[in-house]
Amino acid sequence: MPGRWKRASLAVVWTSLAILGILPAFASRFHAAPGLPAPDFALRAYAGPNARLSEHIGQVVVVSFWGVGCEACRAQLEALEQDFSRYRAQGLRIYGIEVADDQLQARRYAGGLHVTFPLLLDPAKAVARLYDVDTLPMTVLIDRDGKIRRVVRDFNETSRRACEDELRTLLAE
Amino acid sequence: MAILAGLGALLAIPVGFAQSPAPATSASPDASVDSQVQSLKSDVLDLNRDLFVLEQELLYPANTQVAVFVAIDAGTFFALDSVQLKIDGKEVADYLYTPREVHSLVQGGVQRLYVGNLKVGKHELVAFFTGKGPHNLDYTRGATLDFRKEIGAKYLELTITDDQHKLQPEFRIKDWN
Repeated sequence: MPGRWKRASLAVVWTSLAILGILPAFASRFHAAPGLPAPDFALRAYAGPNARLSEHIGQVVVVSFWGVGCEACRAQLEALEQDFSRYRAQGLRIYGIEVADDQLQARRYAGGLHVTFPLLLDPAKAVARLYDVDTLPMTVLIDRDGKIRRVVRDFNETSRRACEDELRTLLAE
Repeated sequence: MAILAGLGALLAIPVGFAQSPAPATSASPDASVDSQVQSLKSDVLDLNRDLFVLEQELLYPANTQVAVFVAIDAGTFFALDSVQLKIDGKEVADYLYTPREVHSLVQGGVQRLYVGNLKVGKHELVAFFTGKGPHNLDYTRGATLDFRKEIGAKYLELTITDDQHKLQPEFRIKDWN
């Protein structure tokens, strides 16, 4: 009888561990899909204070991953700068996260970009991995509840228009 | 055993929800639905809290638990940027602070930086603090504590204080036990 109790207790513990551990781990494979909470991060900025995403709950946040020498990234960041100056007062926050191997080159490149929103350093590429960045530029739109609303890959006229429409919708919510 | 009973109860809750009969509608359906939604929200929050407590009890049992906290007393001579924590030579935490978090700590907040499990015996805790020191210069300092883990939870606190005589920050590790 005690053996049966022991086995039953172990079964309950393992089931609980599976629920607490394995299922969240499985779900976390898909970290950066629309509808999921945006993975939190804290990074140093090229200039200015450190930034943490979770401090912006209640605001619309755009996270754009960019790389050195990527012309589409430069165009994307310039387009985002226009959005930032237009919608900043309505609670829009933008972070540009560099995905580069050469930090010195990235720093020099960032210095040449005329953007007023913070550009963040991700030297270990931990945040890029967290967001499953598979192409540059990649832009993630996050709503006021901290959930990913849209992931835009590449930069062209169509993606630009879609991004702007989604931004307006998010800011109006 | 209490944990197992609690888990069993939690696992059974969805079944309980599914089987509960729909409540009778009152004179003003909107108000009734609203109150039901509020009540459900409150239940979900309670469940979430209970589940968190159970998770913590399972992952970090009281007998093996070790927790490290961070506090700032004054903080005139040091602007905290990050803390790296090593226990027995293994990095267990590396935390980057935002100005808002530093402000909260300066205001008297205490942050739980790390919680984990350790065997009974001797251990070494090393903490590296980086930030801006006096005259806004980059500043990195370390603090070390050799401690003995007994049966029961172990609480340690990393404290940043101002040394008014040397006009320098001071980094200490306090053992709460």
